[in-house]
Amino acid sequence: PQTLRCITHDFNIMTCSWDAFSSTNLGQSYEFCYENSGLLVCNKNKEKSADIPIVHGSTTIKITTLNASGTPLATTTFILPEKNVSFIPLTPQILSLTPDFSTEMLYLKWKDGGSAFPFDLDATWQIEVLRKETLERVAQVTYHSKLTSKDTILSWNWKSDMPLECVSHSVRIRCYINKMNYGGNKEWSEWSPIVTVPGEVPDLSFAKVFPQDRVVPVGSNMTFCCLHREDERIEHIKYGLKSYPLLHLSEWSSAIQVQNVSASESSGTNIWCSLLPYGVEGTVLFVGYPPDIPQNLTCETHTLDKIICTWNPGRPTELFASRQTNYILSERISGRNGTCRVTENTMGNVCVFTVLATQNIYNFTLQAFNPVGQTESSLSIDINQRVHPKTPSKFTVTGESPTKAHVSWYLPGNFIQIKLLCQIEISKSHSEPELDNVTVYGTVNSCYEAQLDMLHPNTAYTFRVRCSAADHFWKWSNWSEKKQWTTWEA
Amino acid sequence: MASAERPPVILRSLDLCSRAIRLARKIRSDVVSLLDSYVERQGLDKNISLDGVDSMPTAAVEHWSELTEAERLGNNLKAYRIFQTLLAEVLEDQRTHLTPTDTNFHESIQSVMLQVSALASQLEELLMLLEHSVPAREEVEGTADSTSRSMFEKKLRGLKVLQELAQWSVRSVKDLHHVTKHSHSSSTVHVSHQ
Repeated sequence: PQTLRCITHDFNIMTCSWDAFSSTNLGQSYEFCYENSGLLVCNKNKEKSADIPIVHGSTTIKITTLNASGTPLATTTFILPEKNVSFIPLTPQILSLTPDFSTEMLYLKWKDGGSAFPFDLDATWQIEVLRKETLERVAQVTYHSKLTSKDTILSWNWKSDMPLECVSHSVRIRCYINKMNYGGNKEWSEWSPIVTVPGEVPDLSFAKVFPQDRVVPVGSNMTFCCLHREDERIEHIKYGLKSYPLLHLSEWSSAIQVQNVSASESSGTNIWCSLLPYGVEGTVLFVGYPPDIPQNLTCETHTLDKIICTWNPGRPTELFASRQTNYILSERISGRNGTCRVTENTMGNVCVFTVLATQNIYNFTLQAFNPVGQTESSLSIDINQRVHPKTPSKFTVTGESPTKAHVSWYLPGNFIQIKLLCQIEISKSHSEPELDNVTVYGTVNSCYEAQLDMLHPNTAYTFRVRCSAADHFWKWSNWSEKKQWTTWEA
Repeated sequence: MASAERPPVILRSLDLCSRAIRLARKIRSDVVSLLDSYVERQGLDKNISLDGVDSMPTAAVEHWSELTEAERLGNNLKAYRIFQTLLAEVLEDQRTHLTPTDTNFHESIQSVMLQVSALASQLEELLMLLEHSVPAREEVEGTADSTSRSMFEKKLRGLKVLQELAQWSVRSVKDLHHVTKHSHSSSTVHVSHQ
């Protein structure tokens, strides 16, 4: 026996193998002996390998070749220092490789094999992504983890720059464990068995272009592939009206790459795959902007039972229909959401939140999101300081005396908690309008009234009224309709 | 010589035919201009091959001259009923997916839809007037799975609907002229028998 080579996978047991040359190998076996805790341990083995416990320092191993009848033929004694025992982690096994075709992501899961070691260890993983049947490497990544004496499932994901349907994608991993105080040589494990996610195989009936109906931000770099039947060939692939050089992927798949795409029309940009002998397949790409931060977010109430929030959506996203920006209004204190209505031209966006009886302060967050991004705006208000009453209605004038008039009007809303400041405009010809301010206690959906005096007898007046919150003015309501009135004669 | 008095039914059918012819011509011109704006808005190429787009009434027909009056009018009616459904689908695709803010464009599609519906009614009336059986309404193939179609397929399908409709409107004018001539000749025979 000669050239003894020993490796270990767990710093505990080493697997030794050796060479043995003799004229006849028939029926040969091997006896190997080693010392373990002061005792001599001997075993026999048909193969030229043996599992032996690792001991600190060095191990003496005596190996004897026996013929078929057990007669010793040759003996060699090896003194094996620990540093000659290479540590190679066990070959890792991939648990799962899951594709998400809609996001072009690959999700990898594997077990770290930490239970093989009774102590913590730093592990380094190398992950390779391979493409096509020819297993061309498209990505190699190093991933670090800590082994903690129990098996842990690790996960990693990868975003492909090409639709996963276009061609097969495979992954393999290997591991390196750096035990600082181990004197022996430390090597990478073997590569794991390869796990493959097959690309789409063209349906016998028709070709396909991928990705299908994707929505991406302006400036993206895109890869489009065309899968065709074996009896077809690709004449060209166009992005919009421009043809691009073909990249061969497989016998039934070719691709083009388009850099820095610009905003598309409302109906998207077409990608055509023109086939020979005839036929065209295609897809549509929608290219737009993420939503802008909602600007001038304003929340107010008309009737103190609903809060109306409006905002300026900012830069157009160039995305429409199901791709347009949607909004969610959430209120942090109550944890409730408002209901939002979004319109295509986005200027009519509004959210409505029901006023809570026990709450005056509202911390609003308006989230804006579309398929290529999201953003938000926040606003904190005291609802009593954001009263913008509706237009007063049923404005009536009645006479009381040649110099007095009685006016009343209706104001919808639940204003019990506040006082209202109402302003009555008194105008008569050939003179500037006068403003008469009156403060009234708010009530619920009811009429309010005021008395005007020091009017001129037998004079034609025009009156109108508007209201606002008396304390913490926010906005005037619109003016009511005008009312003409002529005071009585003196 | 006494002037030949045509029977009221013949007069009525001749009137209906001429109105239907005018409407088919109007549909034709509207669809041609709609095709231009459709191609532009969808970023398509007018000459794109649409062979892969099926389940649509095709105007081309063999042995056109041998068709009976009932077959002629019946085929037209079935086609325009299908086009009503197909156009509604095209309009929905444009509103919901492709050109949601282009209301003028939607109105031009809707206008063609209304004319197609009017033409179908006239054809139905003509069939009854000429005492032919009116074909039963059929489920239009291909509309059931419209939601599963890709955007590109929706675009191509809309283009094909408009192209086929344009061709059908031409065929309808020919068919109706044929029916008119037939009505003329049968009314002349009628007069000569008196």
